[in-house]
Amino acid sequence: MKHIFSIPRIRGKAFFLLWGFLLVLSTQLLKAQETQIKGFVDFNSAYKSDRLNFSLGEQDLFITSDVSEHISFLGETVFKYSATSPTKFDISVERIVMNVNYYGNHNILFGKHHTPVNYWNDTYHHGRVFFPTIFRPMMFDQGIIPLHTTGVRLQGQNLGNLRFGYDLLVGNGVASDDFSDPNKGKSLTAAISCKPVDKMKVGLSYYYDEIPKGATLHHNATLKSKKDVVQQLFTGYLAYFTNGFEFLGESTLAINRNDSTGSPLSTASYGYMGYRYKKFVPYIKLEYLGLNSKEVLFANHPQHNYLVGLRYEINYLTVVKLEYAKTETHATGGAMVNAESFNFQFAIGF
Amino acid sequence: MRKHIELNRIPKTLIILFVLCQMLVFTAFRQGDDAVIAVIANEKGAPASLTMKELKTVLQGEKQRWPDGTRISIAFMKTSTPVGSSTARKILNSSGDQLNKLWLALVFQGKAKAPTFFSTPQEMETYVNTTAGAIGIIDASFPTKARVLSIDEKKSF
Repeated sequence: MKHIFSIPRIRGKAFFLLWGFLLVLSTQLLKAQETQIKGFVDFNSAYKSDRLNFSLGEQDLFITSDVSEHISFLGETVFKYSATSPTKFDISVERIVMNVNYYGNHNILFGKHHTPVNYWNDTYHHGRVFFPTIFRPMMFDQGIIPLHTTGVRLQGQNLGNLRFGYDLLVGNGVASDDFSDPNKGKSLTAAISCKPVDKMKVGLSYYYDEIPKGATLHHNATLKSKKDVVQQLFTGYLAYFTNGFEFLGESTLAINRNDSTGSPLSTASYGYMGYRYKKFVPYIKLEYLGLNSKEVLFANHPQHNYLVGLRYEINYLTVVKLEYAKTETHATGGAMVNAESFNFQFAIGF
Repeated sequence: MRKHIELNRIPKTLIILFVLCQMLVFTAFRQGDDAVIAVIANEKGAPASLTMKELKTVLQGEKQRWPDGTRISIAFMKTSTPVGSSTARKILNSSGDQLNKLWLALVFQGKAKAPTFFSTPQEMETYVNTTAGAIGIIDASFPTKARVLSIDEKKSF
């Protein structure tokens, strides 16, 4: 008797069933997958030391994709000038975030993040169109803020009436690269925030990292300390951006401890204020880096920065900024070095 | 003797000023000319009624899911349309540009799913009817077959 379901026929049916299943699945995935590519770019000019200079800023490409109902992706890649590159330009992967929205406003994120240690780093990223000023605050250039962390992040946002938010990020510290971490210990970022009134956000964060002696840090500096350093950052901020008044204040207390120098305290603070009149926003920014003379992780020269500027928002994708900035650096031996500049930026999104 | 004003004798500056004034008056009237809007939603996801505060929370990207767990998908009319600019002004107390910038920033921060913008109410209605969890703001005079939500117990505002 011939079996109706002979092996070749079962294989054929199974093949067609599998093929049909995959076809339906791929159609559903394609339907679910919504991918967007956007970008930002800026052109800058500076008049400094009796010299006018033009420069290209960063070309920032970012991709978002909804892979499924619960999983999404965000990638941010920057093309920027680099003196050490043979082509004078480098490609830098700034963020790769795979997001699993597992319940309500709670997410687990895997990848390379902008460390949610303060408002600026977690809000503006590399889009100059969003920056209220031309440049980031000095605390970023001095390596005080650990810009990136590759790791796993638990995030909740806009919870309850106070719109409470939390971030808990465990990852490679500032001595790592994107591929490996020489440390046994991981960096830890814990941040909380709330929005007590509309357009206001208040937040606190704590950052912990262990940095081995001789390590090359994220901002390409080599650790000055000949001993291992334990870094702790305590940060607080208040952001309030209304249709008229704008304010952003952030302050960080850094304790970089090693066995030789103990636990010197350094502070970094800035305050930005602006007032919007239609498409114009005149603004000021004051910044102070109170870097301890025993500092082992950052530069150890205190710095002040004063800035007056005007932002003209042609539309939501096009911004022009003009600034006068003065920076005072208290060099070794007590001498003070002044630097003044007029800066211009034309930034667009596309 | 009656004097006639000849057009070519009026200084050009006055003519330009007059035209600019007309444009300003026109713009001012247009800004006050709000479209009446209504909120439509897919059968799955949004509850039958919301408060204005809850609607604002949703349209500001502060909620990722509806109470039944369905992911929220937001549909706006383009802010260059009267309904799009009215949506920004009436619900979010902002201009169309500010709404666009708010959403560009939220998506860039990875904190919300990008909304979809439409040019016509027909396209929006089709999207809302076929996307679970979708909510959209539409011209109240458009004869929609989609589910219309009550906002503060009103079907349009």
